[in-house]
Amino acid sequence: MSRLENELKQLIIESLDLEDISVDTIDSQEALFNGGLGLDSIDALELGLAIRKKYNVRIDAEKDDVVKIFASVASLAEFIESERN
Amino acid sequence: MPQNFILQKWAVWPPLHADAGQGPANQNALLAKVPSLLKRRLTPLAKTVFCAANQCLDDGHFLPMVFSSTHGELGKSFGMMEMLATGEEISPTAFSLSVHNAIAGLFSMVWGNKLQCTVVAPGEEGLAAGFIEALGLLQEGAEQVLLVFYDEPLVAFYPAAPFKLSTDKCCALALCLAKTGAGQGMALSLSAMTGDDGEQPVQLEAFTRFLAGSSARLVLKTPRHSWHWKKNVQAD
Repeated sequence: MSRLENELKQLIIESLDLEDISVDTIDSQEALFNGGLGLDSIDALELGLAIRKKYNVRIDAEKDDVVKIFASVASLAEFIESERN
Repeated sequence: MPQNFILQKWAVWPPLHADAGQGPANQNALLAKVPSLLKRRLTPLAKTVFCAANQCLDDGHFLPMVFSSTHGELGKSFGMMEMLATGEEISPTAFSLSVHNAIAGLFSMVWGNKLQCTVVAPGEEGLAAGFIEALGLLQEGAEQVLLVFYDEPLVAFYPAAPFKLSTDKCCALALCLAKTGAGQGMALSLSAMTGDDGEQPVQLEAFTRFLAGSSARLVLKTPRHSWHWKKNVQAD
């Protein structure tokens, strides 16, 4: 598991108040929305804000493929990596 | 003209008597069936509302609902305004939960209630506004209505004095009202007498003591008129 993925899992747990969930129980490939972790649209907005604050990376609903980026921890990490480079 | 109704069930949270077990263990028990993904969104006031309202609903049984709160969760809005003032971005979750019908919405989502739900913010009329709404639904043909009053202390920033519109604790009172059937026969009426018994946050305690006590009558005066509640009334 990459360091960024690990960090993102921690960020998801903290920013979304997922008290019952630990970093170890989130699979990087697991769906965050529509099944999987079971997050909703408000979580997507909250997570987008947390990512913007922590990584200074903006996910633009007009430009970016939001569904693909938010699909899993792995896809989020990939997007953040590519934006930072 | 008095409006008659039946009070089938009621519950207050926290309980009136400390020995009724208002500890966290009891609150956790009352919230045990709330899915964890929704439970994380419940503020202390929302938990208080759930604890009162859950006791008036049987599992899987839905009712049209009326919620009434003078201030709702104004503290949440105030916190966001403070963040905006310092140029910080506000939390989308906090924003979504700051609207006046947020708790009623969460309650409907948790139990899958698809029936009508109204949320009022009464001013001087206090508890009467929610009652009028609920009695209107009964009049329209609803067999039962769940009526929930709740309030928490007003954020210190706002000048509560000299107005009687804040409370010193979180409180929720849930009532199951019906037009006919078993329960306490009650009547609500209006008179011209004026006074100032405060707004809902202040009235809540007086009304709860009236329900729990032996007194057959409660009068709550407002600057415009007074509302009279009677117990032991014969059904229509």
